[in-house]
Amino acid sequence: MDFEIDKELRREIEETREWGEREVRPAGLEADRNGAPLPIDHPYFRRYLEHGGGRTRWHGPGAEPARGSSGGGVLKSVIIGEEISYWDRGMTIANPGVGLPEGIVLASATEEQKERFLGPFLKPDRPRWASFALTEPGGGSDTANFKTRARRDGKHWILTGAKCFIGNASRADWILVQANADPEKGRSGQRAFFVEQGTPGLGGFKIEKKMGLKAYESTSFTLEECRIPENNLLGEAGRSAEKSDGGEKSSKGYKSTMSTLNASRPGVAASAIGIARAALDESIAFARANDLVKQVRVRDRLELFQRKLRAAWLMVLKSAWLADQGKPNIVEASMGKVYAAEIAQDIATLAMELLGVVGARGDHLIEKLYRDVKALNIVEGTGQIQRVIMGRQLVGLPR
Amino acid sequence: MIDFSLNEDLELIVDTIRSFSNERVLPKIRTFESDRRVDGEVSREFAMAGFDRLELPESLGGSGLGMLARVLVNEEMGAVDPGAALALDRLGPAFYALEAFGGLNALAQFARPIVETEGKRAVLVLESDSTFDVEHGRVSGAVPWIPSGRADLVVILSDTGARVVEHGSSLQPLRGSGLRAAGSASLRLEHAPVIAQWQDPRKAAQALAKARLYAASLLLGVLRGASEFSRNYAMNREAFGRPIAHHQGLAFLIVDMYTAVESVRLLVHDAALKIDSGEDGTQHAAAAFVEAVEASRFIGPNGVQILGGHGFMQDYPVEKAMRESRALGLWMGGIDRARDDAGKFLE
Repeated sequence: MDFEIDKELRREIEETREWGEREVRPAGLEADRNGAPLPIDHPYFRRYLEHGGGRTRWHGPGAEPARGSSGGGVLKSVIIGEEISYWDRGMTIANPGVGLPEGIVLASATEEQKERFLGPFLKPDRPRWASFALTEPGGGSDTANFKTRARRDGKHWILTGAKCFIGNASRADWILVQANADPEKGRSGQRAFFVEQGTPGLGGFKIEKKMGLKAYESTSFTLEECRIPENNLLGEAGRSAEKSDGGEKSSKGYKSTMSTLNASRPGVAASAIGIARAALDESIAFARANDLVKQVRVRDRLELFQRKLRAAWLMVLKSAWLADQGKPNIVEASMGKVYAAEIAQDIATLAMELLGVVGARGDHLIEKLYRDVKALNIVEGTGQIQRVIMGRQLVGLPR
Repeated sequence: MIDFSLNEDLELIVDTIRSFSNERVLPKIRTFESDRRVDGEVSREFAMAGFDRLELPESLGGSGLGMLARVLVNEEMGAVDPGAALALDRLGPAFYALEAFGGLNALAQFARPIVETEGKRAVLVLESDSTFDVEHGRVSGAVPWIPSGRADLVVILSDTGARVVEHGSSLQPLRGSGLRAAGSASLRLEHAPVIAQWQDPRKAAQALAKARLYAASLLLGVLRGASEFSRNYAMNREAFGRPIAHHQGLAFLIVDMYTAVESVRLLVHDAALKIDSGEDGTQHAAAAFVEAVEASRFIGPNGVQILGGHGFMQDYPVEKAMRESRALGLWMGGIDRARDDAGKFLE
């Protein structure tokens, strides 16, 4: 048993810290002040590419290793993710790159699809984004109840429906859209489709105005009789299953989606911890600057922040470590997600109390963190959904 | 690099102590509680397996293991009966003060005779929990409660040092709120001769850190035991046509109790690893203790709540867990003093 981070990873964390302090925090603050994501041609994104970001983890022909992708698995990505979220969680989503769909594409796409959709991200000539569209209006965490439909039409698929709260959708080269190809089969009828930007029928992009995390776009859009080639259906298994009568293969689309979410929960939890750690550091700095540290009430509050944050962090590290070991982590991933997100919210809330009326001015970093962190207890399964998942495992809570 | 697994030796220790606690202690927990002691046969088996000298150096006949081994053993014992755990580990946290201040010599002089003589007990008391006067090398005063029915060696730990007393103490048996299997008494010292004393605030802090972690790991076990028992009960007890655990109000409570136990476990292990690696673990140990005590306020009463009226009855162990978790939380200076130390990172 060992909870220490090794020297090599510490060096990478330090590099991330330098980049975060110099580039990420100012960019996030700029977006927050403007109340809108940074525009596509913002110089930050070019610098991000020059810094080595925005590249795929796919080792295709001519690949250059992406920054932070030299191995180390979930644990490493969680540790680096926590550090970058410390500087600005919104910018971690806003950054160019394949982003959320990368895991599912790497796991399920055909080689031809990887070449076609990940290839441009091997050595991007300009900032490029991809996007993953799961959530629908009226269908947040109930992923089995999507209304977006896909129907076969010769050598094409026709997609119809609407998606909402989708990161980077309007600026993405392609969006991996989850749709149901056989509603009678429920969740096992679900498939994922590559929908390229500019495809007729893909439109109605509306960038939502959010309380926090303003640095990245959360976008709603519609699919109106959107015709895409048959080889844009993710993976071989889904296609063959579509021709068969269902069974084990046919649930692969849903399962691959859910396994992606499971694998990414430690990452979401880590970003909550990054925000909370920033709130703690700002709280300590404020308390010291205003000679509040010796007040027992203040000290107890800061002690609580520190202690809960450490417990949450270890919980998240454990869930990531289990994932890297190939061991089941459903309970731990959900536990880390719900605990970290709620603790982070508590810390930011109490940090606002520490500021007193200074917090009400709206120009302190803690005030931004307070707005930002709320989303982490909502995205990729609310705290309540995480408890349902844990309940199924721990007490056999029925579906 | 980060690794949450146990090595083979520690896994073996955990398996062994788990079997012992479930097979030898669990069937007798109410007997031990009413007798205010653990029977000699169980005590001898515990000693035979070497668990009564887990951290004693090998040169003194012990196993020479560290804090991580200690907290793993305490979790398993605490999950079944923390009072029995205290009765069986006859050196208890007194070991840490002797080790910190007196090293091998003090352990050979004071600790070894305790483990080598059946039935003897050493107790650690904190000066902050007591009223003591020291005059001409003799100490007088009283400690309102100790979880022990014997005190063959008394180690008094202050913020700056420690004193050892062997004679001149008397015990007044008490009913005790919890931990009754360990015995329960008030301790009085009357002109008791101090046979060893040391001054070193840093070592005092180290000894207290380990003692707190000792208490926190027993608490962890109690919380796990209560949490698991009530979870299993809720999966078997039916109301309104289904297991009560399948009513979301209870399911979420059980999930939150499980999470609270895990948060304590991680902080306890974190502090133990820090201490075993030679780092200053005082703040981490204090934080682990605070977390354990806070979790006990949540899990103790809710373990009873899940069982409803049955939980209030002594037919089930959850009422015992509620009492014992409270008693452990008051031990070793309690939560407020621990919070002082856990917050020292701000200084």
